[in-house]
Amino acid sequence: MMQNNKTQSSKLLKLILFALLGTISMLLMFLKFPLPFLPSYLTIDFSDVPALLAALLFSPVAGVIVELVKNLLHLIIGGGEPVGVAANFLAGILFVVPVSVLYHKFKGVKSLVSGLVTGTVVMAIGMGILNYFLILPAYSLFMGMEEMAIPTVKWATVIGGILPFNAIKGVIVGVLFVPVFAKLRPWLEKKRLTLN
Amino acid sequence: MNNMLIIGQYVPGSSFIHRLDPRTKITIIFFFVFFIFFANSLLSYGILTLFSVGSALATRIKVSYIIKGLTPVWFLILFTFLLHLLVTKDGEVLFRVFTYPIYTGAIIQGTAISLRFFLLILVTSLLTLTTSPIEITDAIENLLHPLKKIKFPVHELALMMSISLRFIPTLLQETEKISKAQASRGVDFKTGPIKERIQAVVPLLVPLFISAFKRAEELAMAMEARGYQGGEGRTKLRELKVGPLDWVALLCFILIIVALFVTRK
Repeated sequence: MMQNNKTQSSKLLKLILFALLGTISMLLMFLKFPLPFLPSYLTIDFSDVPALLAALLFSPVAGVIVELVKNLLHLIIGGGEPVGVAANFLAGILFVVPVSVLYHKFKGVKSLVSGLVTGTVVMAIGMGILNYFLILPAYSLFMGMEEMAIPTVKWATVIGGILPFNAIKGVIVGVLFVPVFAKLRPWLEKKRLTLN
Repeated sequence: MNNMLIIGQYVPGSSFIHRLDPRTKITIIFFFVFFIFFANSLLSYGILTLFSVGSALATRIKVSYIIKGLTPVWFLILFTFLLHLLVTKDGEVLFRVFTYPIYTGAIIQGTAISLRFFLLILVTSLLTLTTSPIEITDAIENLLHPLKKIKFPVHELALMMSISLRFIPTLLQETEKISKAQASRGVDFKTGPIKERIQAVVPLLVPLFISAFKRAEELAMAMEARGYQGGEGRTKLRELKVGPLDWVALLCFILIIVALFVTRK
């Protein structure tokens, strides 16, 4: 009975924590800025940081949940159109999951850095592939621009826009995340006693 | 500060669109987005435009506010139109811009596709304009209910969404407070090269995360003290109810769709 109560309460605590991290994540989406040399619809923001934190503290699934909350919120308050929101969700998963899987396997600062590099590469290549086969065709259907679905146009968009954009985004988020995580860790270590 | 707290588009009101069950609105919009791709004649586009603009006017929200909400897409619509002018080469040459020929087919197709895009955005934004986020969450929980059979945690997701929505203003205020506190210590968020702006976010995020952890603990404890024990047997403050108004709206929408298929080429 005691045991049962305890798991119930830590489950609720995590649920609430993921919800709050998702909210912070959504708010961070509004602090976005375009990159000078890329198309203006590709904007960089720090909204993957909270999901990354959840994924490293708990599990890759936790990161996915925070990404889900963030994107659903964004959709519900009317901040984005469905295709863009779905693309952001997929990019978030492709970034957060590899980082946290590597981190949980080898724990430590080195594995975090190599995880962030792997995550960036997986996200950039994965989003390139998904854009080519899924997202750009969806946009061209949604906006009635058959021109956008022509293979050469898609190639140009992927090579000239999507790949560099996601690579830069991964690097920027990683550069921000390392000091944040380093500063939070001592505090969280103390906390962990009450969390688990 | 106050206008920072307004995030999202919802405009409270009492028009009949506001009073529709959120599930009705979501269903109608879902099928509208699907069926709009079937329009291909002048009359069928006319019917859909009448339906969309009519619904927008029926919300009794100021037209200028609705248009302002669409500003980010005006550029895209214009871009789509111009692209079609340049690329499409159907029909006769209508006139020439310098020496570049503009075809009649290009004008027709460009207009049709920009119109379709405009209607899509207008109708989907009507949902978030007339339905409070909490109502949308309730409706999603209700519509996803069948997924419980495959062990999808529908209740937990809805709970997370309601908590998130409740805490948007609180966390926004807190972000504001922390950034002011850090600015008074000399952190510059707004100017400087990208690298410095990234570094400026660190002292903003760390306290924000710590307070989220503390808040989560307090809230979990408070909920348990009040006997929260998951979704089983939980009752609701707001019950969703399908009324006669919803049936009228659905019937009207079905008639519109029938009319669309009749007037199709």
